Amino acid sequence: MMRVALRNLWQHKLRTSLTILAVLLGVAMISGTYVLTDQLRSGFEDIYQSAYKNIDVVVAPRPAFGESFEAGLETLPDSLVEKVRAVDGVTAVNPSLSALGVLVVDGEALQTMGSPTLFFNAAPEVLDSVTYYAGSQPDRSGEIAVNRDAAEANDLGVGDEVAVGTRNGAVPVRIGGLFDFGSEGSSLGGSILVAATSDDMRDWFNLEGVVNAIEVKGEGEDPAALAARIRAAIDYPGATVKTGRVSAQEQTQAVGDALDSVLTPALLAFGGVAVLVGAFIIFNTFSITVAQRRREFAMLRTLGATRRQVLGTVVAEALVIGVGASVAGLFAGLGVAMAMNSLFKAVGADIPVGGLEMAPRTIVIGLAVGIGITLVSALVPAIRATRVPPVATLQEGAALPPSALSRYVPYFGGLLAASGIGLLVLGLLSAGSVTDRLLQMAIGGVLIFFAVATAAKYVVRPVARVLGWPVDRVDGSAGRLARENSMRNPARTAATAAALMIGLAVVVFVAVFTAGFKSSFVDAIDEMAKGDLIVRTQAGGMMTTLPAAAGEAIRRVPDVASVSGIGIEQVQIDGDEVGTIQGIEPSDMKQQWEYRWLDGGSNALLDALGPDQALMEEQLAITHGLRVGDTVAVTARSGETAELEIIGEYRDPNLFAGLTVSYAGWDRLFDQRDAVFYLVSADAGASVTQVQKGVDAAMADYPQAVVETKEEYIDSIVKQLNQFLYMLYALLAVSVIISLLGIVNTLILTVYERTREIGMLRAIGASRSQIRRMIRYESVITAIMGGVLGIVLGTVFAYIVTTQLGAQGISFTVPPVQLVVCLIVAIVVGVLAAVLPARRAAKTDILAAIHYE
Amino acid sequence: MSDTMDRPQQPAAAQTTAEASATTDAVVATRSLTKVYGTGDAAVKALRGVDVEIGRGQLTAIMGPSGSGKSTLMHIMAGLDRPSEGTVSVDGVEITGLKERDLTQLRRDKIGFIFQSFNLLPMLNAQENIVLPLTISRTPVDKGWFERLIGIVRLEDRLTHKPSELSGGQQQRVAVARSLVAQPAVLFADEPTGNLDSRRGEEVLQLLRQSVDEFGQTIIMVTHDAHAASISDRVLFLKDGVIVHDHGSMSSDDIYDVIRSLEGICPADADGDGQGRTLAAELCAPANAAPEVVATATGGRDGDGAGLRAER
Repeated sequence: MMRVALRNLWQHKLRTSLTILAVLLGVAMISGTYVLTDQLRSGFEDIYQSAYKNIDVVVAPRPAFGESFEAGLETLPDSLVEKVRAVDGVTAVNPSLSALGVLVVDGEALQTMGSPTLFFNAAPEVLDSVTYYAGSQPDRSGEIAVNRDAAEANDLGVGDEVAVGTRNGAVPVRIGGLFDFGSEGSSLGGSILVAATSDDMRDWFNLEGVVNAIEVKGEGEDPAALAARIRAAIDYPGATVKTGRVSAQEQTQAVGDALDSVLTPALLAFGGVAVLVGAFIIFNTFSITVAQRRREFAMLRTLGATRRQVLGTVVAEALVIGVGASVAGLFAGLGVAMAMNSLFKAVGADIPVGGLEMAPRTIVIGLAVGIGITLVSALVPAIRATRVPPVATLQEGAALPPSALSRYVPYFGGLLAASGIGLLVLGLLSAGSVTDRLLQMAIGGVLIFFAVATAAKYVVRPVARVLGWPVDRVDGSAGRLARENSMRNPARTAATAAALMIGLAVVVFVAVFTAGFKSSFVDAIDEMAKGDLIVRTQAGGMMTTLPAAAGEAIRRVPDVASVSGIGIEQVQIDGDEVGTIQGIEPSDMKQQWEYRWLDGGSNALLDALGPDQALMEEQLAITHGLRVGDTVAVTARSGETAELEIIGEYRDPNLFAGLTVSYAGWDRLFDQRDAVFYLVSADAGASVTQVQKGVDAAMADYPQAVVETKEEYIDSIVKQLNQFLYMLYALLAVSVIISLLGIVNTLILTVYERTREIGMLRAIGASRSQIRRMIRYESVITAIMGGVLGIVLGTVFAYIVTTQLGAQGISFTVPPVQLVVCLIVAIVVGVLAAVLPARRAAKTDILAAIHYE
Repeated sequence: MSDTMDRPQQPAAAQTTAEASATTDAVVATRSLTKVYGTGDAAVKALRGVDVEIGRGQLTAIMGPSGSGKSTLMHIMAGLDRPSEGTVSVDGVEITGLKERDLTQLRRDKIGFIFQSFNLLPMLNAQENIVLPLTISRTPVDKGWFERLIGIVRLEDRLTHKPSELSGGQQQRVAVARSLVAQPAVLFADEPTGNLDSRRGEEVLQLLRQSVDEFGQTIIMVTHDAHAASISDRVLFLKDGVIVHDHGSMSSDDIYDVIRSLEGICPADADGDGQGRTLAAELCAPANAAPEVVATATGGRDGDGAGLRAER
């Protein structure tokens, strides 16, 4: 029986390879995800191991919360350095200083695409984690060294005059050395590393009297013993003392955990969609071929084959396809990993990566998914093959006997739909963890896909009638025949369309969801920001900030009416989850921001906002069960705490989530008033363009600053969102391509099945071009059907989700352009899918119609 | 998506029309047709020099044992296959050198087909199947002709039925009507009774005969069925790729005997009844004699043979 299966696959090489490809792509997405995240993990592992390779023991601040890899900019008093140095067995000590800054080349701040530009002090040679390949360690003020990637990317060499952006303005410096960091072949992502002297570091980043860590070299004894002695000697609860090795391991682990909680599942979700689409194609292909081989199965039965043996041939075929596709998919996963990485780079997320490797876990999961999905999808058609009675040898036609269960199919579809919707709603409303809820929603969505696919065959006829109408009108015979053909086998057309539906539904969901986010974000800024200009940092996040001095500089610009800095930091609220806190100057903010007060609040609350008070955003109130009048305990990462009384509530989930305090309150938690934004308004009657120029000039000392009008700011945010969106589209494109393969497969099988018919059409005068068009229209009708179903389903999903998430700042907005584009994509998919089958059909020998079998 | 691709200029061979039709009123004429399949040792000669002219308004049957080349001859005459050597003209158009596109146009304009298996499109109803050739060539339906046609094939009350709702005979009548709807210069019928019982077969044969007699339709029919051939105005017998006999109308018994003789089975000489076997006896005597036209006008359409079949 295995031989029958293999022969059959070999005879239909094209169909076999298309089917394999459909599974292969899904498996490749899954294995690619694992390969990529493993690569990222090893990239970070390499960074941490390099950073700690010469360090026996490290004394680091103990952050009050959060992962250690997020920290690093907390400080310890420098009095600890001498205590450490005095410990027995310590041979060298590096009072490590680090900070985020900007490197400025030819007056332009270097963009780091989301990665940090990290400044650190040049360490004593025995403790240095970098290797100089040109020049030397900076040893005098005004001299820096940079890493190889940054130097090569920007064509920097020893002796070049550049500048650095610091907390105290821009400083001209000279490059004195170039160094390598990490092992060969690993990438730091887009990160820029800058080494400077300790004195410069202190001056530039206000690090007087503190250190970020104390790195220690011992005499070669067991570092753990040294660490224990140091721990005892300093006796400082705000510090952790670990061996370099443990520290590297812990930080690697923390990064890995972070990847596993966000990136891995997100990418796997896209792989899952691709696998799901592949499953539909397997199911459809096997259903069609089993129907076409009906007489062959009947013949096997008359020759004495048991049902089990018939099942065996079909399952064997599925097994061969599954194994072939999974093995090839694993290797293709390596390519997918590289492609995804360049995709991330293209949208500005340049992440450190190590070498390509395929972990045993990747192989096991890839094979299990690929083989499993193929077998499961082929099972129903295989069982139907066993139902062919031996007498069918003598019968014409390619119809299978209806299965005993077929009359329950509609009920089954209903059950699927009901449980799908149930899970979706449960996921939206339940109070479980975000991951659980997302999983519930995803499974619900998948069930709904199946339900729609089951139901689709009932709507194929009416829908094809409508969709086929224009081609029927425009292109008489070919259009007419295509329209009729697409209605001939509704289940087949439905399953083919369903594959495309899934991919497009997810695309549309993402598009609608993002459009909602975008419009509510844009609306929020439009509505609330009263000022004319927004000054932000290039990274746009909290990686870099603008010091308070920058605000003073802006204030001095002529015609500037008011300036309001906004500091944003992470804090722990009520010893619970991490949240956001905003620091503002209430009197300035009153002129810049139109708060959407809730609970009868007004701007008077801003006047009342003292050092012990806070305002809260609506979502925080909901998630923490807080009410106006309650008191919350807030902890900064440094360990500083403050009790704050909540005096008002506002709605602003997009911009100022969490808590808002006055700078007076901010000072209780943080030792600086660095701002992420400055909101600026010009004097009435003054030219905004003029003021913008002035502010721009005033920011000469702060190369990381970007001065934008409100409209420009909105544009750049929208641009960033769009980039993110395009990345998602690129990931989803794989599913759409798989569904395209599915359409090709169905059409090829259909053309084969209708050989005689097509021959007859040719004999009675149909031209090759008419036959091609006939196939093409059928393909397009099927594709549009999938497209329309996908668009409707995706929009409905997005509607359900966004209405539930409305309060979290995402409104339901239908992006008409994207939906039209989706429909066009569906049409293009239809046209492309038809190319090969149409060519085959046009080549049909007319004699085929006359030859009798 | 214009239709220009399907609308070629008139075939370039048009100027030969005058010449061809001047010589004779042949609808289809072949000259020294040979067809070789395969090459070298594996080469099989399906046709070895066939010269034949098919008269307008005649029903011509092509008969011969399996492998005689009769199907190949029909395929080449219909432009479905190309000869290795020799030429074919259809309705004055030299088709041997035509491009695919012109052949398509030729099929639209001049050629009709009836297949053994009815080859109707299952998703179209009877009427739509009948007018399919016109739909494909975007020719408007001639109402009067259509009405007359469906009257003849007796499908007036079946027009909206799908093929699956029609009997075998009705399906073949739809196929006949489809082949006639475009009023082709020549209609090729490939075993038109092959899939029908004798009564349905007879119906179809009468339709073909009627279309020749009433509309002057030219029909070329390949058949195994001696009875089917007996309604023809002319019967061509092929053996080993050449025409070995070319008769006028013949009785089915005569046809049967000729076929038997071609298969090498000679009638027992003295079986007593001594009638109608003379022809066969004659054929048998000089084995593989040079083909000789024996234009016997036996008034062969006796129509009494109830589906006598040479090979069934």
